[in-house]
Amino acid sequence: MVKTELIKRSPLRILEKAMRGGLGRGNIAALASRKGVGKTACLVHIATDKLFQNKPVIHVSYSSRVDYIINWYEDIFKEIAKKRQLESAVTVHDEIIKNRVIMNFKQEGTQTEQVLKSLEAMIRDGNFAAETIIIDGFDFSRSSRDDLKQFKTFAQRLGLEIWFSASLKGNEPLFDDKGLPLVLKNYMEEISVIITLRYQEEFIRLQMVKSHGETIPGELPLTLDPKTLLIAE
Amino acid sequence: MKTELSKMRNIGISAHIDSGKTTLTERILFYCKKIHKIHEVRGKDGVGATMDSMELEKERGITIASAATRVFWENYSINIIDTPGHVDFTIEVERALRVLDGAVLVLCSVGGVQSQSVTVDRQLKRYNVPRLAFINKLDRVGADPIKVKEQLIEKLGHNAVLMQVPIGLEDNHQGVIDLVTMEAVTFEGANGEIVRRGATPEHLKAEAYEKREEMLDAVSMFSDELMEAILEDKVTENLIYDAVRRGTLSQKLTPVFMGSAYKNKGIQLLLDGITRYLPCPADTETTALDLDKEGEKIGLLPDPQKPSVSLVFKLEDGPYGQLTYIRIYQGTIRKGEELLNTRSGKKFRVGRLIRMHADSVEDDISEALCGDIVALFGIDCASGDTFVKPGLNIAMTPTYTPEPVISLAISTSDKRTSDKLSKALNRFTKEDPTFKTYVDPESKQTIIQGMGELHLDVYIERMKREYKVPVETGKPEVAYRETISRKIDFDYTHKKQTGGAGQFGRVIGTIEPLSEGSYEFVDNVKGGHIPREFIPSCNKGFQAALKKGRLTGFPIVGIKVTLTDGQAHAVDSSDLAFQTAARDAFYKSYSKASPYILEPIMKVSVEGPSEFAGNVFSSINQRRGIIVSSLEDGTFARVDAEVPLSEMFGYATTLRSLTQGKAEFTMEFLKYGRVPSNIAEELMENYEKKRGHKGD
Repeated sequence: MVKTELIKRSPLRILEKAMRGGLGRGNIAALASRKGVGKTACLVHIATDKLFQNKPVIHVSYSSRVDYIINWYEDIFKEIAKKRQLESAVTVHDEIIKNRVIMNFKQEGTQTEQVLKSLEAMIRDGNFAAETIIIDGFDFSRSSRDDLKQFKTFAQRLGLEIWFSASLKGNEPLFDDKGLPLVLKNYMEEISVIITLRYQEEFIRLQMVKSHGETIPGELPLTLDPKTLLIAE
Repeated sequence: MKTELSKMRNIGISAHIDSGKTTLTERILFYCKKIHKIHEVRGKDGVGATMDSMELEKERGITIASAATRVFWENYSINIIDTPGHVDFTIEVERALRVLDGAVLVLCSVGGVQSQSVTVDRQLKRYNVPRLAFINKLDRVGADPIKVKEQLIEKLGHNAVLMQVPIGLEDNHQGVIDLVTMEAVTFEGANGEIVRRGATPEHLKAEAYEKREEMLDAVSMFSDELMEAILEDKVTENLIYDAVRRGTLSQKLTPVFMGSAYKNKGIQLLLDGITRYLPCPADTETTALDLDKEGEKIGLLPDPQKPSVSLVFKLEDGPYGQLTYIRIYQGTIRKGEELLNTRSGKKFRVGRLIRMHADSVEDDISEALCGDIVALFGIDCASGDTFVKPGLNIAMTPTYTPEPVISLAISTSDKRTSDKLSKALNRFTKEDPTFKTYVDPESKQTIIQGMGELHLDVYIERMKREYKVPVETGKPEVAYRETISRKIDFDYTHKKQTGGAGQFGRVIGTIEPLSEGSYEFVDNVKGGHIPREFIPSCNKGFQAALKKGRLTGFPIVGIKVTLTDGQAHAVDSSDLAFQTAARDAFYKSYSKASPYILEPIMKVSVEGPSEFAGNVFSSINQRRGIIVSSLEDGTFARVDAEVPLSEMFGYATTLRSLTQGKAEFTMEFLKYGRVPSNIAEELMENYEKKRGHKGD
């Protein structure tokens, strides 16, 4: 399969359809689940899909080491290339990694101002025309609404899509009666799209619980394959 | 003299350039009665500090080569590895670190934790070297040891704890208060050799007690006994010493000493600290690779009875012949015994076994025990080799040697100096594995290669000074390569019949890109259309063609040639005819195979305060670089990028001005990457012009 075909047939097109065309610039999405269910895999798959479309991505991480994140990308790329029998995979790979930057913020309690300042420096001074920002490891339970407001303003000002992961911790219940993660309750205005990941028999089911202002009860026809860690129909 | 393992220390003295490391080392040698007269680094007496063995170092006031020397303090034996402090010589630093058990991090009381300190400290961390800090130059205007200790905590993330507080600073600096014994320690005599201990002066008591409390708080984390003793108010000096030692060995505590090496203050207490808190060889775990078991890790035991294992960490071509510095990790090495170099597989006999003092040979010894650092004479080996007692087949982890990244053409005026030049080059390449040299077969120019502009500068200086060879240098150059992107067929006949013996050879086959390796030749000729004896001639002909690409004159790599058919003539075919046929077949086909130019891409790491991250991003972007990742840890930032080497010349200067000298970078070769077409055109044009001049 050639690259264009692969983009067209990606299961992520279904996700976009459910978001009525996609997340859209200036908007924030969050993928929520308990630890170890597959948030990072999903985010990396979403990022890789953008990279296939030659859209630059910045991957922000608060916790992981750089080589660990790069391994995620390598694994997801390999699985996609294998599954779709991608033609000239090595060339495609070399092309797409040029559009990916990983930014790590190691210290606990790095201020959102500092993160945004560095992101802006990367985009402007580094001349890196990112459209998508992936933010993994941001702790919603220890942050304030003001942090998310800053991210939202930033996304709008620079025309970015921002994808967060949100870790769900502690005792049940983790969700309200509409299926919205409780930890994100304070951030409903800033977050446009929320997708949850939950175990369902041997699959991990993706569920869109909020899409651009409306909460949609109902499942996405998407799962996360626990073996390849790819999003699949 | 034999020393028990527990009384042995192998230490390094690491520091930012100009923080007084060499002066400090000099004082240590003096107080240990090794030398009897103190010379200054930039000495008026023209002798220079003993550890700086080279003229150039004396003049610049810096230390380039590390020398190992042994001293005795009380009844402890201390091997001191003097490590250079400049970034372009990190191979020297890294090799020295490999054999250290502990280190003293020297900081300037005015300059504090500088960028170089950060680099050096990271290197120490990488090799898990426990360390003490010594805040030097308390006599300087603006000295502030408390601030420097805070920087150790903030900038380097150390759990730094003051073991002393100063008695007076700047002009009034007299000594220190030892927070363990609570004595005021001052230094008297012409060279501060008399240590006086007295009561803490009244005006300093409050501060001293406060800092002692802080110290006890931090230190008691490492000892339950001390914790209890504090509660019961039964603290003893030994309990504190023991706890500090434990904390230091676990690398979770950095005891901070202070003084002024130049004014002879505080050095003896630092020596006490080295023997009390830094590890002995038995405190450090060492592993080696078992070559019989595919490099499986095995532990080495610091037991003199075991078969010996030692690591070559430095070669030096001194006035008395080649010296090989080794660190013995296991067993005992005796004069006259046979050892095996596991890299080369060669056995050799230990002729002379020597202990070194700066650059003068010290004493011949008959045996050396594990844990020690000694030198051998006249052994043919390379840095990083492992010597074992025959019967063992293990290697120490290879010392990491980066690839040279820059080359420079050099030339001399006449024949006489060119002999001296080759002598100099021969010596430098033996001493320093990152310095390489060769003669370009094309231009007949001597090319030197190294780790950076400054690295090569220093060697050019040394050629002028030590060997009296004035050299002219060209512009630094990048090693380009060429390759092809398409598979093509060829069918070429070489025919020459102009009187005398004719030449005839026909070759048919394919040329295609090869992803791994630089050249592969496949012979698929059936039916003897090319006689067997001429197949190697064809191979030779193709290889000759690869030496010089048509686009830039640089070698061609990544080529697979398959010979499928051909034709020969009973009389006119010859070795030469087929060589020519193959070579010209390649030349003729090359342009059809869509050739392109490759350039070395470097892995570049820039480190500095995070406030300059934006400047660093833009400087990399301007250099056709790709930022791979960035990391921010508080105020510290690191940017990893891939940048073409050709864009990196002068980057040190650019970075300095972009970041007020607060950031620094390292780079190493990563891969060859395709040159973008606009730049490729420029390169080809330049090559055309050059060829035009030569009338080629």
